[in-house]
Amino acid sequence: MRDILKLFLAVTIFSAISGGLLAFVRSATQARIEYQQLKFVKGPTLKEIMKGCQNDPIVDRFKVKCGKKEKTIFVGVFNGKPKVIALEAFGKGFHGDIGVMVGIDVTTDKILGIGVTTHGETPGVGSRVKTDPSFRTQFKGVSVNESVKVKADGGQIDAVTGATISSRGVCKAVNNALALYKKLKPEILKRLKNFKSKKLSS
Amino acid sequence: MVKRAVNEFVKGLWEEIPPFRLVLGLCPTLAVTKTVENALGMGMAVIFVLTCSNVIVSAVRNLIPKQVRIACFIVVIATFVTIVELVMQAFTYPLYLKLGIFIPLIVVNCILLGRAEAFASKNGVIYSLADGLGIGIGYTLALSALASIREIFGYGTFYHISVFGPSFKPFSFMVKAPGAFVCLGLMLCIMNMFKKK
Amino acid sequence: MESYIVLVISCIFVNNILLMQYLGNCPFLGVSKRMETAVGMAMAVIFVLVMAGAVTWVVNYYILKPYDLEYLRTLSFILVIASLVQLVEMFLKKNIPALYAGLGIYLPLITTNCAVLGVCLINMKEEYDFIHTLVSSFSYAAGFGLALVLFAAIRERILLARVPKPLQDTSIGLVTAGMLSLAFFGFKGMIH
Repeated sequence: MRDILKLFLAVTIFSAISGGLLAFVRSATQARIEYQQLKFVKGPTLKEIMKGCQNDPIVDRFKVKCGKKEKTIFVGVFNGKPKVIALEAFGKGFHGDIGVMVGIDVTTDKILGIGVTTHGETPGVGSRVKTDPSFRTQFKGVSVNESVKVKADGGQIDAVTGATISSRGVCKAVNNALALYKKLKPEILKRLKNFKSKKLSS
Repeated sequence: MVKRAVNEFVKGLWEEIPPFRLVLGLCPTLAVTKTVENALGMGMAVIFVLTCSNVIVSAVRNLIPKQVRIACFIVVIATFVTIVELVMQAFTYPLYLKLGIFIPLIVVNCILLGRAEAFASKNGVIYSLADGLGIGIGYTLALSALASIREIFGYGTFYHISVFGPSFKPFSFMVKAPGAFVCLGLMLCIMNMFKKK
Repeated sequence: MESYIVLVISCIFVNNILLMQYLGNCPFLGVSKRMETAVGMAMAVIFVLVMAGAVTWVVNYYILKPYDLEYLRTLSFILVIASLVQLVEMFLKKNIPALYAGLGIYLPLITTNCAVLGVCLINMKEEYDFIHTLVSSFSYAAGFGLALVLFAAIRERILLARVPKPLQDTSIGLVTAGMLSLAFFGFKGMIH
């Protein structure tokens, strides 16, 4: 019996030391890991949307409570002022959800640009909603109070040829993002008032 | 003493170089040798984990009860693997994405458990350190050699730098799974030819 | 239903764990010299992998995720698998000696078989639900068994052939595996 206790104790002590060490390393790297993940997954899309901004929108992000969940908001500084925010929303495409990052100009309440972050659409067909710039740019200037639809549904957006369902998915995601923005707007504006960029470049 | 430590280090580079002489750890050898960059990244991770786990195992070798030693070794190895995982995510995220599940799978790489059981649990800290470094560096060299061949013929590049110029038609068999098996098999054959009779 | 069929075909043929994902190669080359041992190993892997898939799913979604401990995944999975193998071994030895006689010697080898941990990690990465996890674990293991048995059959024939000296043993084994992998490449277009 004592032997078994000894064995058990040895493994327990080992696991405890290892758990403690890992918890320490984890807490030391956590912030950087989150930044890296955002940079490589959402970074390229964000850069596209916020062309010409003076800060790093990934560094200048904050979280806003939305029901039970938290929503990450990225801030873009133009002419020294936090003018654009970007948030991500999802819509159902041909194969699962399409993630779309939507940049909104808070001074005019108009869309500055959108970009697809994640999708599982067919390569070469549905995937063109991400790669085709002429599809993307149609969203620019749309007011947040409008609802975007593809032309086949009586809307204003030309769908990508042969990929109506994927295009519809993007529209749905954009509408979701706009609805979220309208819901969270008071909170976002409050946060932007006290906003100070952590890293500005001229 | 210094001489023996040097010997333990050097043997990992040729006499017992994994995976050729010590046929262990084949899965990552096949999986991460598409490009030299991946091979080096994997090699560094293995060097770190192998050296650290060898030192720790050797340091506590007299404290661990015999019956549960394997479990304790696995805990030590898994701890260092997780540290590598976290550090890679924080600093070299694109490489981490490329190596994917093969980073956590270092835990079950037979080389690590093999060295812990066959060497570190029987020898002093300094020798275990030398052994870990030697085997780790040997493994990295072997990975890089295989990766160079596969990348040069499969993509026409070496460390992402073009070798044959734009007119080269890549031999993409080399970077697919079958190419990995055949290439490693032939390399093993060449190594056998050098073996002392 | 359709998603299950696609999953089964994809795991056994298209993404065969041994020949396409490069996992579990050590036992692949180690125990494939004789047909009997290959069949024994294949059965043991199917048996353990389905259990490991189920247990690690529970560990991940009921212990690690709620407490935000996902960085301990590697550590906890390998410990779970190692203790599971031990338990299975003890259970079989006591209650089903006939099965133990067949599988017993392969069980300790499974702990360090990267196919087991690999499939558990793939299941988490693909975020399968519980039933999909079971189906995928079983199919991956079946794919492992299929490749192993095929390979053992080829290897028994190679024993009779005259292989050049430097190519013997592991070396010719790897080249043969490459040919087998090339054959499995033909399944690639089956599923998009």
